[in-house]
Amino acid sequence: MSKIVDQWVERLKGKLPPVGEMTHWERLAAAMDLKKTDMVPVAPELDYWQITYAGYSHKEIYNDVDKTTDACIKTWADLRCDAIWMYIDISHQIENFIPAEKRPEHFILRGDKDYLLFKPIAHTLDEAIALYETKAYERYINDSRAVTHYTPHMLQLLEFQEKMDRQVPVILGMATPTNYAETVVEVQNFLRWMVVEPEDKMRHYLNLCLQERLASLEFYREYAAKNGCQFMCLFGGARTWGPKHLDKFADVDRIFAEKVAEIFPYTFWHHCGHNLPKALDMISATRGVKGVQYDMPYYGQTVTWPEWFEEVARKFHGKQCAMNAPTTQLACHGTSQQVSEMVDQFIDATLPHTTACIMPGCEIDSFTPVENVKAMIDTARARRIK
Amino acid sequence: MSQTNHIEKLATAIEAMDMAGISTLVKDALAAGLTPAEVLSKGLSEGMRRVGVKFNAGEVYMPEVLVACDVYFAGLNIVRPLLATNDETIIGTMVLGNIHGDIHTVGKQVAMPVFEANGIRVIDLGENLNDNVFVEAIKKHKPQLVGLGTYMTSTFMHTAETVRVITEAGLRDQVKIICGGPAVDAEAARRMGADDAADDAWEAVEKIKKLLGRA
Repeated sequence: MSKIVDQWVERLKGKLPPVGEMTHWERLAAAMDLKKTDMVPVAPELDYWQITYAGYSHKEIYNDVDKTTDACIKTWADLRCDAIWMYIDISHQIENFIPAEKRPEHFILRGDKDYLLFKPIAHTLDEAIALYETKAYERYINDSRAVTHYTPHMLQLLEFQEKMDRQVPVILGMATPTNYAETVVEVQNFLRWMVVEPEDKMRHYLNLCLQERLASLEFYREYAAKNGCQFMCLFGGARTWGPKHLDKFADVDRIFAEKVAEIFPYTFWHHCGHNLPKALDMISATRGVKGVQYDMPYYGQTVTWPEWFEEVARKFHGKQCAMNAPTTQLACHGTSQQVSEMVDQFIDATLPHTTACIMPGCEIDSFTPVENVKAMIDTARARRIK
Repeated sequence: MSQTNHIEKLATAIEAMDMAGISTLVKDALAAGLTPAEVLSKGLSEGMRRVGVKFNAGEVYMPEVLVACDVYFAGLNIVRPLLATNDETIIGTMVLGNIHGDIHTVGKQVAMPVFEANGIRVIDLGENLNDNVFVEAIKKHKPQLVGLGTYMTSTFMHTAETVRVITEAGLRDQVKIICGGPAVDAEAARRMGADDAADDAWEAVEKIKKLLGRA
């Protein structure tokens, strides 16, 4: 029982006007099930943005669970997106690998509208393997923010979801094994090692990362799924890998994603990067993954955005919901008109081939103007699907 | 072995990511009578150019590029002390650093050798830089260019603030500002007050040449 949740439920339950003919939950779920929706769902990744939108600073909510939850629910109540994204920063990924007294030297809390920066916790492949082999992440978990901050925040949002009779789903996020493999050592080190280290040693490291992720998944089964969570976003790593590296090593992500999808019926995958076409092929063949939040391939991009939207939509036909538009850069620095145009382009290019969800390929930056976020919502809401 | 063969071996070593062999190859080339500038421009830099062609063709990706850069630097470190300081191949000087909040060196480590191989002298300021570091570096080094490295979308968005600080210091007119990294967008960079942005080092070189009027 949470006071902040009960306050919001009392204020909102039964008092909100409907948005379209479907509930937010029904709309997002239907799109991910590749079924007809009344309008294209809108679920931008507002995790950082909603904190400052609600009037808090990132420093202010860093250790305050109630304010974190308050920000997420207030943002939803005002904007009525089709999902609530749990707020999360990257501290949860590495805090449980290091003892409390060492954590301050690994984190920099940036400005009021910014976020947390971390420094790597292993500098060689041997160090990284040792961290996992000794299960450091189990030793230091209990006083980490994963337990002290994110778990209660997650439980509060799920409590809100359930008390509101599942009008709106809460989206949680889990990083994939490759994301962890890169994060704990810094991506540039990991990339080099794929070339210069023995393949079996890299494979061993990635398998250890997979085991840790699967252990973490059990936590999510117990505390998220059993409390009503059905929507899970997988944050992929491997954004600058080539096809050869994906073929060699990315199976750990596929294995993990399929396990996640067995627990969370609405699992989708966030992936961006240099080799996006190849990565999207892999993801679209992954059992149980119902949507892909994607970005642009960064080079060789001779295609226009509408052409790219269509190419991806064709690839996802009969398999996944396409989640994109506008770009996070345009959302932050474009005009409302430009945001609206890109949302329209995405919908026009996608709907003939698969379902769509307005969800930029990355998190919405804290500096993104409110009117641009509203523009993406309003544009989608203005278009009824016949 | 002819000098042409030495040059070809150097370029091939970069392409092949031959870290073990590069030192010997550079020394052999110098011993064969090649000048340090020839070793750099015709051998090592040619190798990086070829890596760039393969990168843009999707034949190699960032992991291979990073290792090729390491090999280039290993060779460069041998010839750099021998190079004449008034090298006419230099087209400009850049102060380059990772924008506030970004510690990923992946892009900068690729950009530096590619830039140097194309006549852009690079002064590496480091990572996660306070905006004032760029201001002080402009005053100290008098560069024509400022390079803002960023790996993530969120840190790219800090460009506006960095440009504002440089402008308030009265230095904006003295430099061209270019952003680089996988999440940059040229239009957004210009809206934030920078001159351009590129998501790979070779594209950045072409844009820098245009900014400097050297295209």
